[in-house]
Amino acid sequence: MYGWIWRHLPGNTWARALISLVLVLAVVYVLFQYVFPWAEPLLPFNDVTVDNQ
Amino acid sequence: MAATTDHEEHTGARASSRAPRRRGGGRIAAAVSFFGELLITAGLILGLFVAYSLWWTNVVADREADKQGDKVRDHWAEDRGPVGLDTKDGIGFLHVPAMKNGEVLVKKGTSTKSLNDGIAGYYTDPVKSALPQDKKGNFSLAAHRDGHGAQFHNIDKLKKGDAIVFETKDNWYVYKVYATLPETSKFNVKVLAPIPKESGKKKAGRYITLTTCTPVFTSRYRYVVWGELERVEKVNDERTPPPELR
Repeated sequence: MYGWIWRHLPGNTWARALISLVLVLAVVYVLFQYVFPWAEPLLPFNDVTVDNQ
Repeated sequence: MAATTDHEEHTGARASSRAPRRRGGGRIAAAVSFFGELLITAGLILGLFVAYSLWWTNVVADREADKQGDKVRDHWAEDRGPVGLDTKDGIGFLHVPAMKNGEVLVKKGTSTKSLNDGIAGYYTDPVKSALPQDKKGNFSLAAHRDGHGAQFHNIDKLKKGDAIVFETKDNWYVYKVYATLPETSKFNVKVLAPIPKESGKKKAGRYITLTTCTPVFTSRYRYVVWGELERVEKVNDERTPPPELR
């Protein structure tokens, strides 16, 4: 998978490394901004109140 | 010279011996390595999720709580006239010296959304909280144990006799812890009752209840701390804190 992505990136090794870094940062951003905030309430780690539910 | 030839021969031999093996089990090898990469990816994502919940949510929540706290203080500073509580932006600040976490803004409601701003909320549901200035009742609060500001992280450091001070625009309400319940069911809403019987109290009084989740990093149970009002001090012009906070 990663090998396939690497082979399909344009440019020489440096350009590919740079693009890879940008892709990784983009993925981390999407995870922190959208995926984790969505997933967190579904997981039983952070319910702090007492309630009837 | 001889060495290089040797080397070339060697690599040549290796390449030719590898080529047919690759053609033979290539599909299985590719599937296995793809599966392995998926597992590595899953591990990295879980690691990132831990970083998100224990670090990043604190960064975001602290920033937001500071902003909202400053706003409340600005409001207080602006209008020196009428006495009263501003419930929309927050009713005041909770200071618990034993938790060593500075001041915690307290706002109405315990929805996940507002607690995620790194504040403490007073209950409106399932049992409506009293407010500190009420003659009788239970001022019940909830905040996060981990992540999102983790305002009640050190709730287990609170011992009998420790001070819980609530600061409003005009008063310092000084409570003293008299009972703790280190583990209870999340369905135990009786801990929020106006007279919390489980803490050993029989008569109506002015109580404060802090709730959060326990053990740390999970929310299997709830941790409860009860305090009783000891005295009320007027806020002076310099907002000198009561001796408990000095």
